[in-house]
Amino acid sequence: MSELRQEVYLNPHQARRRPPTPYEDLLGDSIERAFAAGIHDLEGLVAHLNRTGPGCLQNEGVWTEALYQEEMTRLAA
Amino acid sequence: MRTIANDPVEAVLAAGLKDLWYPICPSEFVAERPVSLRRLGKKFVLWREASGKLHALEDHCPHRGAPLSMGIAMGDRIACGYHGVQVRFDGVVTSVPGSPGCKLEGAKATRSFHVQEACGAIFLYNSTVNVDQPPPLRLPEELTSDEYSHFLCYTEWKGGYRYVTDNVMDPMHGTFLHKQSHSMAEGDNTATFRVRETDLGFVFEKEGQRGVNFDWTEWADTGLHWMRLAIPYPKTGGPGGSFFIIGSYTPITDNVAAVFHWRCRKLSGWQRDTWRFLYRNRLEARHWTVLEQDRVVLEMMEPDANQREMLYQHDMGLVRWRRHMRNLAKEQLEREDAAAPTKAA
Ligand code: FES
Ligand SMILES: [Fe+2]
Repeated sequence: MSELRQEVYLNPHQARRRPPTPYEDLLGDSIERAFAAGIHDLEGLVAHLNRTGPGCLQNEGVWTEALYQEEMTRLAA
Repeated sequence: MRTIANDPVEAVLAAGLKDLWYPICPSEFVAERPVSLRRLGKKFVLWREASGKLHALEDHCPHRGAPLSMGIAMGDRIACGYHGVQVRFDGVVTSVPGSPGCKLEGAKATRSFHVQEACGAIFLYNSTVNVDQPPPLRLPEELTSDEYSHFLCYTEWKGGYRYVTDNVMDPMHGTFLHKQSHSMAEGDNTATFRVRETDLGFVFEKEGQRGVNFDWTEWADTGLHWMRLAIPYPKTGGPGGSFFIIGSYTPITDNVAAVFHWRCRKLSGWQRDTWRFLYRNRLEARHWTVLEQDRVVLEMMEPDANQREMLYQHDMGLVRWRRHMRNLAKEQLEREDAAAPTKAA
């Protein structure tokens, strides 16, 4: 890439490394709905996910605070 | 824009003030193969050693001016592709294969520049002359403190870099241009602004409104020029309060700007990870839509739009900033005059 860049750089996705999976989209929807409802604590958020899904990928679908934190650490990395 | 021939101050500002740090590209733009980047009135060649160590020279071979970026990187030096002259990272010619022992060998014949990486970007010290030691790169706390998490958004816009600062120095456009965005639908259509001096620069802010819309903006000089602003997130943004943006803008050419925005939030633990997940999954796309609204307006403005303005109270921030920049440019010209060899009487 020794030539001068001719086109200006306009890349809308600089933070993510791949398109999101359907599961990640559902998880994002569910978290945003919980936040919109004023649920800002971890316990409430986990209960919200267990009510409305998507299910946790482990533990037969049941979210726990530890599993939620583990999953967010993975997705935030 | 004033023509450069008529206004040396304008020429200084168009190329970017000297003896300052500037962000020049995202880190991942540069690998071991030399890369040529036009910035700050010059072309730079950047490359890395196998260890990742980064180097920058002016992209101009001291022999006959071929781009060094077309040559071959050999660790801490580049062999020009034209006649094989080798130039080390500090600008010293280490070998002239076509004429061994000639006086070019050992000469510091190429401009060299200090580069440093931080927060996903490469920063370059735009020194007037070669310096052994640049001043430290000083970034705002949103980018250095562990209490914040951030993502860099880098874009190139067709327009002078000063239009980008003008835009950020103009918080009132948020209420209008970004009315249909996810985070700037609140707040009055009218506001009275004031300028408040700080140790590093100044804050331009609405009187009597904070945390509602794009209500204030800050300009600072820490040896790097940067801007800071905060925009409240809607409830769906979760805990963590306002979202901060750190901006810094670098000329590519007179009519193209390198635009750096770091999006920051003060969060820890699961809240921080959740924000980072949501940012990747959806917030980045929403912020992109807002930024595109700015880009489209700025790119549609004529290069000389700022020569035919009728400014009002909301514009006193950019008036303040432009005056400050012109003063810095005058000081630079005076320094350059003082350093120039005295002309024969
Ligand atoms: S121009 Fe580079 S070696 Fe001749
Ligand atoms: Fe904007």
